[in-house]
Amino acid sequence: MYRSLIYVAGVTQMREPTFLILTALAGGPRHGYGIIQEVAVLSATRVSLLPGTLYTALDRLTAQGLVEPDREEVVDGRLRRYYRLTPGGLDALRAETARLRQLATAAETRLRALRPRTA
Amino acid sequence: MSLTRRYRRLLLAYPRAYRREHGEELLGVLLDAAPAGQTRPTLGEAVDLVRGGLRCRLGRPASSTVGVWAVLTALICGLFTAALASRVAWETSRPQPDRAEFAAVFTEAFPGHRLGEDVSTARALFVIYGQPLSRASLRDLLLGDGGEYQEGGAGGSAVGPMPTSEAETLATAQQRLRAAGWQVYEPTSEVLQTCADPRCDPASQPVETVLVARRGDTVLRATFDDPRSFGSYLGVELKRAAPPAVLPVAVLAGLIGGVLAWLVFAWTSRRTEDRRRAPLLLGITLFLWWAPVLLATASLAPHHLDEPHPSWHPLWEWLGQPTLSLFFLVGLAAALILVATALTPRRDLHPLTVSLG
Repeated sequence: MYRSLIYVAGVTQMREPTFLILTALAGGPRHGYGIIQEVAVLSATRVSLLPGTLYTALDRLTAQGLVEPDREEVVDGRLRRYYRLTPGGLDALRAETARLRQLATAAETRLRALRPRTA
Repeated sequence: MSLTRRYRRLLLAYPRAYRREHGEELLGVLLDAAPAGQTRPTLGEAVDLVRGGLRCRLGRPASSTVGVWAVLTALICGLFTAALASRVAWETSRPQPDRAEFAAVFTEAFPGHRLGEDVSTARALFVIYGQPLSRASLRDLLLGDGGEYQEGGAGGSAVGPMPTSEAETLATAQQRLRAAGWQVYEPTSEVLQTCADPRCDPASQPVETVLVARRGDTVLRATFDDPRSFGSYLGVELKRAAPPAVLPVAVLAGLIGGVLAWLVFAWTSRRTEDRRRAPLLLGITLFLWWAPVLLATASLAPHHLDEPHPSWHPLWEWLGQPTLSLFFLVGLAAALILVATALTPRRDLHPLTVSLG
């Protein structure tokens, strides 16, 4: 099952908020508000997830088997449910990271080659 | 009202089962994310929650196309509901013109021209093969001959030789109709292709000229043709225009129908997530409902643009109905099977297991 999910994640580009959510969860299980905060930090406040968007993404990632609920706790009378990456989610994140790194490396190579001519 | 209650109200956009499972959790995130002193949700939050809730109602969280299918379903159901409502609203129209009204208008527009005895009138606003719709005509309506269901009207032709030239007749008719309070549209002419041989001289092809005018709820259509081909040089039709109630009733019914269809789609989609035949049934329905719309629109639009239409063709004609009502019926059957599938108990995806000892 994971293999097919990785394959899907490999051929269809992962959108940036999805990548950021998976990256946020790579550091360990987080609850909804924790994910929102971590995504803001990771993107240097460029991506600001709203709760409705976050839960639509979490539902999708859960259905795809990339994320799963971890545990629940009640803090100040508010229910917090933590989410964690599944092994498939970890593999999908690795695959997407490799893809982005390969693209970034290719772009850097071209830019390095360009530098002497523009100087 | 407190911020918590306002958020709870917005969370009603989510289905009940989802609220039971995630409502408190989502509310906690919303309250955690709200800056101190905030008393009501921001517009962005409200839009985000409603959008998230509507998406959640469609089920199938991993699907990237379910929203498109929901919109297509809501749109076509809204159009069908609007068409049905517009037909009902047509009942507010006056009856189609009778022989006396037709003869009076003919004399008013074409003085000196002799109206033939054979004036046809309609016994209902809409007729099929000249007859009002009845149980006996349902078979024709639904199984192949639905295109014969058309607006009735009064019609007749001039007889005898044309007393004045076509141009003069046309000019006189326009002048007299305007003087009598008709809104007269610019006449249109079309060369009729009666000869398929490329050697035929286009100048020798007959030309059909159409004059359209409207006064109040009545539309006049006068057609000038070659009497050698059509038996008369002038044919006249008088029909009722769509009554004013048709548009608002259709729009309102369309909106209601669309929203209800969306809700039924969402409920069915959630209830059939594990049913493999659900996408097939939906595909059959949407194809059989949308294909007539595309075919009818492609055929009607050029005709609509070719000559003045003071009153649009009824909405159902644009939807290919009842011409292709068989398509509609088969699509409806597939949709009902899909809804019935959703009504049947689902296989338990997470059966309860009890270990003893």
